[in-house]
Amino acid sequence: MFIRRFAITSAIFLLIFIVQEAFVDQINLPAGGFSIFLILTLLWAALSTPVVAAAVGFGAGILLDLSPNTDGPLGHWTLILVLLSYTISFFSYGDENMRGNPLSLIFMVAAAQFFALIFYIGSGFLLGVAATGFVPTITTLIGSSIWTLIVTPLLLPAVAWLHDLAFDSRIHL
Amino acid sequence: MRNGGENRGRLLVVILIVSALFLITLDLRGVSVIAGLRSGTHTALSPFQRAGNVIISPVKNFVNEVTHLGRTHTQIEDLRKQNQKLREQLIARKNQDGQIAQLKSILDLAGKASFKVVNAKVISQGSSLAFTRTITIDAGTSNGIQKNMTVISGYGLVGVVKEVFTNSALVMLATDPSFKVGVRIAGSQQIGILAGLGSINANLQLLDNQTTIKVGDVLLARGSINGRPFVPGVPVGRVTSVSNAAGAVTQSASVRYFTNFGALGVVSVVIQAPSADPRDSLVPAKPVPTPVPTVTVFVTPTSSPSPTTK
Repeated sequence: MFIRRFAITSAIFLLIFIVQEAFVDQINLPAGGFSIFLILTLLWAALSTPVVAAAVGFGAGILLDLSPNTDGPLGHWTLILVLLSYTISFFSYGDENMRGNPLSLIFMVAAAQFFALIFYIGSGFLLGVAATGFVPTITTLIGSSIWTLIVTPLLLPAVAWLHDLAFDSRIHL
Repeated sequence: MRNGGENRGRLLVVILIVSALFLITLDLRGVSVIAGLRSGTHTALSPFQRAGNVIISPVKNFVNEVTHLGRTHTQIEDLRKQNQKLREQLIARKNQDGQIAQLKSILDLAGKASFKVVNAKVISQGSSLAFTRTITIDAGTSNGIQKNMTVISGYGLVGVVKEVFTNSALVMLATDPSFKVGVRIAGSQQIGILAGLGSINANLQLLDNQTTIKVGDVLLARGSINGRPFVPGVPVGRVTSVSNAAGAVTQSASVRYFTNFGALGVVSVVIQAPSADPRDSLVPAKPVPTPVPTVTVFVTPTSSPSPTTK
Protein backbone atom coordinates (compact mmCIF):
# COMPACT_ATOMS: atom_id res chain seq x y z
CA MET A 1 0.00 0.00 0.00
CA PHE A 2 2.76 2.37 0.98
CA ILE A 3 4.74 1.58 -2.19
CA ARG A 4 1.70 2.15 -4.38
CA ARG A 5 0.98 5.51 -2.75
CA PHE A 6 4.59 6.54 -2.91
CA ALA A 7 4.91 5.54 -6.56
CA ILE A 8 1.74 7.32 -7.68
CA THR A 9 2.55 10.47 -5.68
CA SER A 10 6.15 10.55 -6.96
CA ALA A 11 5.04 10.06 -10.56
CA ILE A 12 2.47 12.86 -10.31
CA PHE A 13 4.91 15.28 -8.71
CA LEU A 14 7.69 14.44 -11.16
CA LEU A 15 5.36 14.94 -14.12
CA ILE A 16 4.06 18.28 -12.86
CA PHE A 17 7.63 19.37 -12.07
CA ILE A 18 8.66 18.68 -15.67
CA VAL A 19 5.57 20.49 -16.97
CA GLN A 20 6.39 23.44 -14.73
CA GLU A 21 10.03 23.59 -15.85
CA ALA A 22 9.46 22.85 -19.53
CA PHE A 23 6.32 24.85 -20.20
CA VAL A 24 4.96 27.11 -17.46
CA ASP A 25 8.28 28.70 -16.51
CA GLN A 26 9.02 29.57 -20.12
CA ILE A 27 5.90 31.66 -20.70
CA ASN A 28 7.21 34.62 -18.65
CA LEU A 29 3.83 35.66 -17.37
CA PRO A 30 3.56 39.18 -15.98
CA ALA A 31 3.84 39.85 -12.25
CA GLY A 32 5.71 36.68 -11.43
CA GLY A 33 3.23 34.22 -12.93
CA PHE A 34 2.29 31.08 -11.03
CA SER A 35 3.78 27.72 -10.16
CA ILE A 36 1.49 24.74 -10.74
CA PHE A 37 4.05 22.65 -8.88
CA LEU A 38 3.77 24.82 -5.77
CA ILE A 39 -0.01 24.86 -6.04
CA LEU A 40 -0.06 21.05 -6.39
CA THR A 41 2.18 20.64 -3.33
CA LEU A 42 0.10 22.96 -1.15
CA LEU A 43 -3.21 21.48 -2.30
CA TRP A 44 -1.88 17.96 -1.76
CA ALA A 45 -0.75 18.95 1.73
CA ALA A 46 -4.15 20.46 2.51
CA LEU A 47 -5.81 17.17 1.56
CA SER A 48 -3.37 14.89 3.43
CA THR A 49 -2.49 14.05 7.02
CA PRO A 50 0.22 16.27 8.59
CA VAL A 51 2.87 13.54 8.38
CA VAL A 52 2.16 12.79 4.70
CA ALA A 53 2.03 16.54 4.02
CA ALA A 54 5.45 17.04 5.59
CA ALA A 55 6.91 14.13 3.61
CA VAL A 56 5.37 15.42 0.38
CA GLY A 57 6.68 18.90 1.19
CA PHE A 58 10.14 17.44 1.65
CA GLY A 59 10.12 15.64 -1.69
CA ALA A 60 8.63 18.60 -3.54
CA GLY A 61 11.13 20.93 -1.88
CA ILE A 62 14.02 18.79 -3.03
CA LEU A 63 12.71 18.88 -6.60
CA LEU A 64 12.24 22.67 -6.45
CA ASP A 65 15.75 23.06 -5.04
CA LEU A 66 17.16 21.02 -7.91
CA SER A 67 15.39 23.17 -10.47
CA PRO A 68 17.81 25.13 -12.68
CA ASN A 69 15.70 28.24 -12.01
CA THR A 70 16.33 28.12 -8.27
CA ASP A 71 19.16 30.29 -7.04
CA GLY A 72 19.08 29.34 -3.36
CA PRO A 73 21.06 26.51 -1.73
CA LEU A 74 19.76 22.94 -1.84
CA GLY A 75 17.42 22.46 1.11
CA HIS A 76 16.09 26.03 1.05
CA TRP A 77 12.73 25.24 -0.57
CA THR A 78 12.75 21.87 1.21
CA LEU A 79 12.77 23.51 4.63
CA ILE A 80 10.04 25.99 3.68
CA LEU A 81 7.77 23.38 2.11
CA VAL A 82 8.14 20.90 4.98
CA LEU A 83 7.09 23.58 7.45
CA LEU A 84 4.30 25.05 5.32
CA SER A 85 2.87 21.71 4.19
CA TYR A 86 2.77 20.48 7.78
CA THR A 87 1.13 23.72 8.93
CA ILE A 88 -1.52 23.67 6.19
CA SER A 89 -2.37 20.07 6.89
CA PHE A 90 -2.39 20.70 10.63
CA PHE A 91 -5.08 23.35 10.17
CA SER A 92 -7.12 21.64 7.46
CA TYR A 93 -6.94 17.89 8.17
CA GLY A 94 -9.90 16.71 10.17
CA ASP A 95 -11.77 19.98 9.64
CA GLU A 96 -14.43 19.00 7.13
CA ASN A 97 -15.64 22.60 6.85
CA MET A 98 -12.22 23.51 5.55
CA ARG A 99 -11.58 20.46 3.37
CA GLY A 100 -15.09 20.24 2.03
CA ASN A 101 -15.22 23.86 0.96
CA PRO A 102 -13.32 24.57 -2.27
CA LEU A 103 -13.23 28.31 -1.58
CA SER A 104 -11.51 27.77 1.78
CA LEU A 105 -8.94 25.52 0.12
CA ILE A 106 -8.29 28.02 -2.68
CA PHE A 107 -7.77 30.93 -0.29
CA MET A 108 -5.65 28.82 2.02
CA VAL A 109 -3.41 27.71 -0.84
CA ALA A 110 -3.09 31.29 -2.11
CA ALA A 111 -2.19 32.50 1.38
CA ALA A 112 0.27 29.63 1.87
CA GLN A 113 1.89 30.40 -1.47
CA PHE A 114 2.20 34.06 -0.43
CA PHE A 115 3.84 33.08 2.87
CA ALA A 116 6.07 30.52 1.11
CA LEU A 117 7.46 33.31 -1.08
CA ILE A 118 7.88 35.62 1.92
CA PHE A 119 9.75 32.91 3.84
CA TYR A 120 11.83 32.16 0.76
CA ILE A 121 12.85 35.80 0.40
CA GLY A 122 13.42 36.25 4.14
CA SER A 123 15.46 33.10 4.63
CA GLY A 124 17.23 33.73 1.30
CA PHE A 125 18.33 37.07 2.69
CA LEU A 126 19.88 35.25 5.67
CA LEU A 127 21.48 32.63 3.42
CA GLY A 128 23.02 35.23 1.11
CA VAL A 129 20.76 34.69 -1.91
CA ALA A 130 20.82 37.77 -4.16
CA ALA A 131 17.53 39.62 -3.84
CA THR A 132 15.86 41.88 -6.37
CA GLY A 133 14.59 45.35 -5.57
CA PHE A 134 11.70 46.18 -3.28
CA VAL A 135 9.16 47.04 -5.98
CA PRO A 136 9.76 43.91 -8.13
CA THR A 137 9.56 41.77 -4.99
CA ILE A 138 6.23 43.26 -3.90
CA THR A 139 4.89 43.01 -7.46
CA THR A 140 5.86 39.34 -7.62
CA LEU A 141 4.37 38.59 -4.20
CA ILE A 142 1.01 40.20 -4.96
CA GLY A 143 0.96 39.16 -8.61
CA SER A 144 1.71 35.52 -7.96
CA SER A 145 -0.93 35.39 -5.22
CA ILE A 146 -3.51 36.69 -7.67
CA TRP A 147 -2.32 34.20 -10.30
CA THR A 148 -2.61 31.42 -7.71
CA LEU A 149 -6.16 32.52 -6.87
CA ILE A 150 -7.00 32.28 -10.57
CA VAL A 151 -5.25 28.99 -11.34
CA THR A 152 -6.00 26.99 -8.17
CA PRO A 153 -9.76 26.57 -8.90
CA LEU A 154 -8.80 25.14 -12.30
CA LEU A 155 -6.38 22.64 -10.79
CA LEU A 156 -8.33 21.75 -7.67
CA PRO A 157 -10.67 19.10 -9.18
CA ALA A 158 -7.76 17.37 -10.93
CA VAL A 159 -5.57 17.41 -7.82
CA ALA A 160 -8.43 16.13 -5.65
CA TRP A 161 -9.04 13.31 -8.13
CA LEU A 162 -5.34 12.39 -8.23
CA HIS A 163 -5.14 12.50 -4.43
CA ASP A 164 -8.17 10.24 -4.27
CA LEU A 165 -6.49 7.91 -6.75
CA ALA A 166 -3.33 7.70 -4.67
CA PHE A 167 -4.87 7.53 -1.21
CA ASP A 168 -8.43 6.29 -1.79
CA SER A 169 -9.51 9.13 0.46
CA ARG A 170 -12.88 9.82 -1.25
CA ILE A 171 -12.76 13.55 -0.99
CA HIS A 172 -15.90 15.18 -2.24
CA LEU A 173 -15.62 18.83 -3.01
CA MET B 1 -1.57 4.32 20.94
CA ARG B 2 -2.78 7.52 19.29
CA ASN B 3 -0.19 9.50 21.25
CA GLY B 4 2.50 7.11 20.05
CA GLY B 5 1.45 7.72 16.44
CA GLU B 6 1.47 11.48 16.90
CA ASN B 7 4.90 11.36 18.49
CA ARG B 8 6.25 9.30 15.61
CA GLY B 9 4.74 11.83 13.20
CA ARG B 10 6.34 14.75 15.01
CA LEU B 11 9.63 12.90 15.08
CA LEU B 12 9.42 12.42 11.31
CA VAL B 13 8.73 16.13 10.80
CA VAL B 14 11.71 17.01 13.00
CA ILE B 15 13.90 14.58 11.02
CA LEU B 16 12.75 16.17 7.74
CA ILE B 17 13.50 19.68 9.03
CA VAL B 18 16.93 18.62 10.27
CA SER B 19 17.60 16.93 6.90
CA ALA B 20 16.69 20.16 5.08
CA LEU B 21 19.01 22.17 7.32
CA PHE B 22 21.73 19.55 6.76
CA LEU B 23 21.32 19.90 2.98
CA ILE B 24 21.55 23.71 3.23
CA THR B 25 24.75 23.39 5.26
CA LEU B 26 26.26 20.93 2.78
CA ASP B 27 25.42 23.17 -0.16
CA LEU B 28 26.76 26.30 1.50
CA ARG B 29 29.99 24.45 2.27
CA GLY B 30 30.33 23.69 -1.43
CA VAL B 31 30.07 19.90 -1.33
CA SER B 32 30.60 18.71 -4.89
CA VAL B 33 27.88 16.04 -4.73
CA ILE B 34 25.25 18.77 -4.44
CA ALA B 35 26.62 20.58 -7.50
CA GLY B 36 26.61 17.24 -9.32
CA LEU B 37 22.95 16.68 -8.41
CA ARG B 38 22.00 20.10 -9.76
CA SER B 39 24.01 19.56 -12.89
CA GLY B 40 22.37 16.14 -13.37
CA THR B 41 18.89 17.63 -13.00
CA HIS B 42 19.77 20.36 -15.44
CA THR B 43 21.00 17.77 -17.95
CA ALA B 44 17.90 15.64 -17.47
CA LEU B 45 15.55 18.61 -17.82
CA SER B 46 17.18 20.30 -20.80
CA PRO B 47 15.56 18.06 -23.49
CA PHE B 48 12.14 18.76 -21.96
CA GLN B 49 12.92 22.46 -21.79
CA ARG B 50 14.03 22.48 -25.42
CA ALA B 51 10.86 20.71 -26.47
CA GLY B 52 8.81 23.01 -24.26
CA ASN B 53 10.44 26.05 -25.80
CA VAL B 54 9.46 24.94 -29.31
CA ILE B 55 5.86 24.22 -28.28
CA ILE B 56 5.45 27.25 -26.02
CA SER B 57 7.06 29.82 -28.34
CA PRO B 58 3.80 31.10 -29.94
CA VAL B 59 2.16 31.43 -26.52
CA LYS B 60 5.26 33.04 -25.10
CA ASN B 61 5.44 35.56 -27.94
CA PHE B 62 1.78 36.39 -27.55
CA VAL B 63 2.13 36.92 -23.80
CA ASN B 64 5.20 39.06 -24.37
CA GLU B 65 3.41 41.19 -26.94
CA VAL B 66 0.44 41.71 -24.61
CA THR B 67 2.67 42.42 -21.63
CA HIS B 68 4.82 44.91 -23.48
CA LEU B 69 2.01 46.70 -25.22
CA GLY B 70 2.69 50.45 -25.10
CA ARG B 71 6.16 49.94 -23.74
CA THR B 72 8.01 50.57 -26.97
CA HIS B 73 9.56 53.70 -25.58
CA THR B 74 11.01 51.77 -22.64
CA GLN B 75 12.28 49.14 -25.06
CA ILE B 76 14.06 51.80 -27.12
CA GLU B 77 15.65 53.15 -23.96
CA ASP B 78 16.73 49.64 -23.02
CA LEU B 79 18.21 49.10 -26.45
CA ARG B 80 20.11 52.37 -26.17
CA LYS B 81 21.51 51.25 -22.83
CA GLN B 82 22.42 47.89 -24.34
CA ASN B 83 24.14 49.68 -27.20
CA GLN B 84 26.15 51.73 -24.74
CA LYS B 85 27.01 48.57 -22.82
CA LEU B 86 28.15 46.87 -26.02
CA ARG B 87 30.36 49.83 -26.86
CA GLU B 88 31.94 49.54 -23.42
CA GLN B 89 32.39 45.83 -23.98
CA LEU B 90 34.07 46.56 -27.30
CA ILE B 91 36.56 48.81 -25.55
CA ALA B 92 37.11 46.12 -22.92
CA ARG B 93 37.59 43.61 -25.74
CA LYS B 94 40.36 45.74 -27.23
CA ASN B 95 42.04 45.70 -23.85
CA GLN B 96 41.65 41.92 -23.71
CA ASP B 97 43.12 41.61 -27.20
CA GLY B 98 46.20 43.44 -25.95
CA GLN B 99 46.44 41.06 -23.01
CA ILE B 100 46.06 38.05 -25.31
CA ALA B 101 48.90 39.36 -27.48
CA GLN B 102 51.06 39.76 -24.37
CA LEU B 103 50.16 36.27 -23.20
CA LYS B 104 50.99 34.78 -26.59
CA SER B 105 54.43 36.37 -26.63
CA ILE B 106 55.07 35.13 -23.06
CA LEU B 107 54.05 31.60 -23.98
CA ASP B 108 56.29 31.74 -27.08
CA LEU B 109 59.23 32.74 -24.89
CA ALA B 110 58.45 30.21 -22.15
CA GLY B 111 57.88 27.45 -24.69
CA LYS B 112 61.18 28.10 -26.44
CA ALA B 113 63.06 27.78 -23.15
CA SER B 114 60.90 24.88 -21.81
CA PHE B 115 59.98 26.93 -18.74
CA LYS B 116 57.03 25.68 -16.72
CA VAL B 117 55.02 28.84 -16.10
CA VAL B 118 51.88 30.08 -14.39
CA ASN B 119 50.20 33.00 -16.16
CA ALA B 120 48.76 35.82 -14.13
CA LYS B 121 47.04 39.12 -14.70
CA VAL B 122 48.50 42.27 -13.21
CA ILE B 123 45.83 43.51 -10.83
CA SER B 124 47.68 46.43 -9.34
CA GLN B 125 50.69 48.50 -10.23
CA GLY B 126 52.79 50.33 -7.73
CA SER B 127 52.87 49.96 -4.02
CA SER B 128 52.03 51.82 -0.87
CA LEU B 129 55.77 51.99 -0.33
CA ALA B 130 56.63 55.00 -2.45
CA PHE B 131 60.20 54.10 -3.34
CA THR B 132 59.71 50.55 -4.51
CA ARG B 133 58.70 49.36 -7.95
CA THR B 134 56.23 46.51 -7.56
CA ILE B 135 53.17 44.96 -9.15
CA THR B 136 50.51 42.66 -7.73
CA ILE B 137 49.40 39.63 -9.72
CA ASP B 138 46.25 37.54 -9.35
CA ALA B 139 47.98 34.21 -8.70
CA GLY B 140 49.43 32.97 -5.44
CA THR B 141 50.24 29.86 -3.44
CA SER B 142 47.04 28.21 -4.65
CA ASN B 143 48.53 28.31 -8.15
CA GLY B 144 51.90 26.92 -7.09
CA ILE B 145 53.69 30.23 -6.81
CA GLN B 146 56.36 30.62 -4.15
CA LYS B 147 58.67 33.36 -3.00
CA ASN B 148 61.75 34.16 -5.12
CA MET B 149 60.42 32.88 -8.43
CA THR B 150 61.30 34.60 -11.70
CA VAL B 151 58.57 36.65 -13.38
CA ILE B 152 58.74 37.17 -17.14
CA SER B 153 56.84 38.96 -19.88
CA GLY B 154 56.87 38.24 -23.59
CA TYR B 155 59.99 40.39 -23.94
CA GLY B 156 62.01 39.09 -21.02
CA LEU B 157 62.64 39.60 -17.34
CA VAL B 158 60.01 41.47 -15.31
CA GLY B 159 61.15 40.83 -11.75
CA VAL B 160 61.00 38.39 -8.91
CA VAL B 161 58.22 37.27 -6.54
CA LYS B 162 58.76 39.15 -3.30
CA GLU B 163 55.72 38.19 -1.24
CA VAL B 164 53.15 35.51 -1.94
CA PHE B 165 49.62 35.11 -0.63
CA THR B 166 46.88 32.55 -1.28
CA ASN B 167 45.48 34.14 -4.42
CA SER B 168 47.89 36.95 -5.16
CA ALA B 169 51.56 37.78 -5.12
CA LEU B 170 53.70 40.89 -4.94
CA VAL B 171 56.40 41.11 -7.59
CA MET B 172 59.47 43.29 -7.26
CA LEU B 173 60.14 44.79 -10.68
CA ALA B 174 63.61 44.80 -12.23
CA THR B 175 63.42 48.59 -12.22
CA ASP B 176 63.38 48.69 -8.41
CA PRO B 177 66.48 50.46 -7.07
CA SER B 178 67.25 47.52 -4.78
CA PHE B 179 66.92 44.95 -7.57
CA LYS B 180 70.08 43.12 -8.62
CA VAL B 181 70.50 40.25 -11.06
CA GLY B 182 73.52 38.34 -12.32
CA VAL B 183 73.72 38.62 -16.10
CA ARG B 184 75.91 37.46 -18.97
CA ILE B 185 76.40 38.96 -22.38
CA ALA B 186 74.96 36.79 -25.12
CA GLY B 187 77.75 35.50 -27.32
CA SER B 188 80.83 36.53 -25.36
CA GLN B 189 79.44 35.04 -22.11
CA GLN B 190 81.06 37.77 -19.99
CA ILE B 191 79.35 38.12 -16.65
CA GLY B 192 78.30 41.09 -14.60
CA ILE B 193 75.75 42.44 -12.16
CA LEU B 194 72.81 44.51 -13.30
CA ALA B 195 71.20 46.89 -10.80
CA GLY B 196 67.87 48.68 -11.15
CA LEU B 197 67.82 52.46 -11.12
CA GLY B 198 64.10 53.13 -10.66
CA SER B 199 63.61 53.71 -14.39
CA ILE B 200 63.58 51.77 -17.66
CA ASN B 201 67.39 51.90 -17.63
CA ALA B 202 69.69 49.87 -15.39
CA ASN B 203 73.35 49.89 -14.56
CA LEU B 204 75.63 47.01 -15.56
CA GLN B 205 78.89 46.38 -13.72
CA LEU B 206 81.16 43.83 -15.38
CA LEU B 207 83.12 41.56 -13.06
CA ASP B 208 86.16 41.13 -15.29
CA ASN B 209 88.22 44.22 -16.20
CA GLN B 210 89.88 42.41 -19.14
CA THR B 211 86.68 42.12 -21.11
CA THR B 212 85.02 44.62 -23.37
CA ILE B 213 81.42 45.50 -23.87
CA LYS B 214 79.78 47.34 -26.74
CA VAL B 215 76.54 49.12 -27.45
CA GLY B 216 73.87 46.71 -28.68
CA ASP B 217 75.04 43.72 -26.66
CA VAL B 218 72.17 41.63 -25.30
CA LEU B 219 72.11 40.62 -21.64
CA LEU B 220 70.61 37.37 -20.40
CA ALA B 221 69.97 36.25 -16.82
CA ARG B 222 72.79 34.05 -15.60
CA GLY B 223 70.52 31.94 -13.43
CA SER B 224 70.63 30.90 -9.80
CA ILE B 225 70.98 27.59 -8.00
CA ASN B 226 67.79 25.54 -8.60
CA GLY B 227 66.50 28.36 -10.78
CA ARG B 228 65.54 30.62 -7.85
CA PRO B 229 65.34 33.55 -7.78
CA PHE B 230 66.43 33.62 -11.43
CA VAL B 231 66.13 31.02 -14.15
CA PRO B 232 68.94 31.08 -16.72
CA GLY B 233 68.66 32.45 -20.22
CA VAL B 234 65.87 35.01 -19.73
CA PRO B 235 66.47 38.10 -21.89
CA VAL B 236 67.02 41.14 -19.68
CA GLY B 237 68.00 44.12 -21.81
CA ARG B 238 70.29 45.71 -24.37
CA VAL B 239 73.38 47.86 -23.75
CA THR B 240 72.67 51.46 -24.75
CA SER B 241 75.92 53.15 -23.67
CA VAL B 242 79.29 52.13 -22.30
CA SER B 243 81.13 54.10 -19.67
CA ASN B 244 84.87 54.21 -20.11
CA ALA B 245 85.81 56.26 -17.10
CA ALA B 246 89.55 56.61 -16.71
CA GLY B 247 90.83 54.79 -13.66
CA ALA B 248 87.74 52.63 -13.26
CA VAL B 249 88.49 49.13 -11.98
CA THR B 250 85.77 47.47 -14.03
CA GLN B 251 83.77 48.51 -17.02
CA SER B 252 80.17 49.66 -16.55
CA ALA B 253 77.36 50.27 -18.98
CA SER B 254 73.85 51.58 -19.18
CA VAL B 255 71.25 48.98 -20.13
CA ARG B 256 67.72 49.39 -21.35
CA TYR B 257 65.29 46.64 -20.29
CA PHE B 258 63.41 44.76 -22.99
CA THR B 259 60.18 44.74 -20.98
CA ASN B 260 57.90 47.76 -21.10
CA PHE B 261 57.07 48.05 -17.41
CA GLY B 262 54.42 50.67 -17.98
CA ALA B 263 52.24 48.36 -20.07
CA LEU B 264 52.28 45.13 -18.11
CA GLY B 265 48.91 43.39 -18.46
CA VAL B 266 49.79 39.72 -18.29
CA VAL B 267 52.94 38.14 -16.90
CA SER B 268 54.16 34.62 -16.21
CA VAL B 269 55.82 33.20 -13.14
CA VAL B 270 58.39 30.52 -13.87
CA ILE B 271 57.58 27.77 -11.39
CA GLN B 272 60.07 25.30 -12.79
CA ALA B 273 63.36 25.97 -14.58
CA PRO B 274 64.31 23.86 -17.60
CA SER B 275 66.62 20.91 -17.01
CA ALA B 276 69.10 22.34 -19.53
CA ASP B 277 70.29 25.93 -19.74
CA PRO B 278 68.70 27.48 -22.84
CA ARG B 279 71.99 29.37 -23.45
CA ASP B 280 71.51 32.10 -26.03
CA SER B 281 68.38 30.66 -27.63
CA LEU B 282 66.14 33.38 -26.17
CA VAL B 283 68.10 36.32 -27.54
CA PRO B 284 65.52 38.49 -29.29
CA ALA B 285 66.01 39.26 -32.96
CA LYS B 286 67.62 42.59 -33.66
CA PRO B 287 65.06 45.20 -34.66
CA VAL B 288 65.06 45.79 -38.40
CA PRO B 289 64.83 49.48 -39.26
CA THR B 290 61.79 50.26 -41.36
CA PRO B 291 62.70 52.40 -44.41
CA VAL B 292 60.92 55.74 -44.34
CA PRO B 293 59.63 56.65 -47.81
CA THR B 294 60.67 60.09 -48.99
CA VAL B 295 58.84 62.18 -51.54
CA THR B 296 60.67 64.68 -53.71
CA VAL B 297 58.69 67.42 -55.41
CA PHE B 298 60.20 69.31 -58.31
CA VAL B 299 58.76 72.76 -58.91
CA THR B 300 59.55 74.60 -62.12
CA PRO B 301 58.89 78.39 -62.03
CA THR B 302 56.71 79.69 -64.89
CA SER B 303 56.43 83.19 -66.32
CA SER B 304 52.61 83.46 -65.85
CA PRO B 305 51.41 84.06 -62.29
CA SER B 306 49.37 81.35 -60.71
CA PRO B 307 45.69 82.16 -59.96
CA THR B 308 44.97 83.22 -56.40
CA THR B 309 41.75 83.11 -54.49
CA LYS B 310 40.36 86.15 -52.73
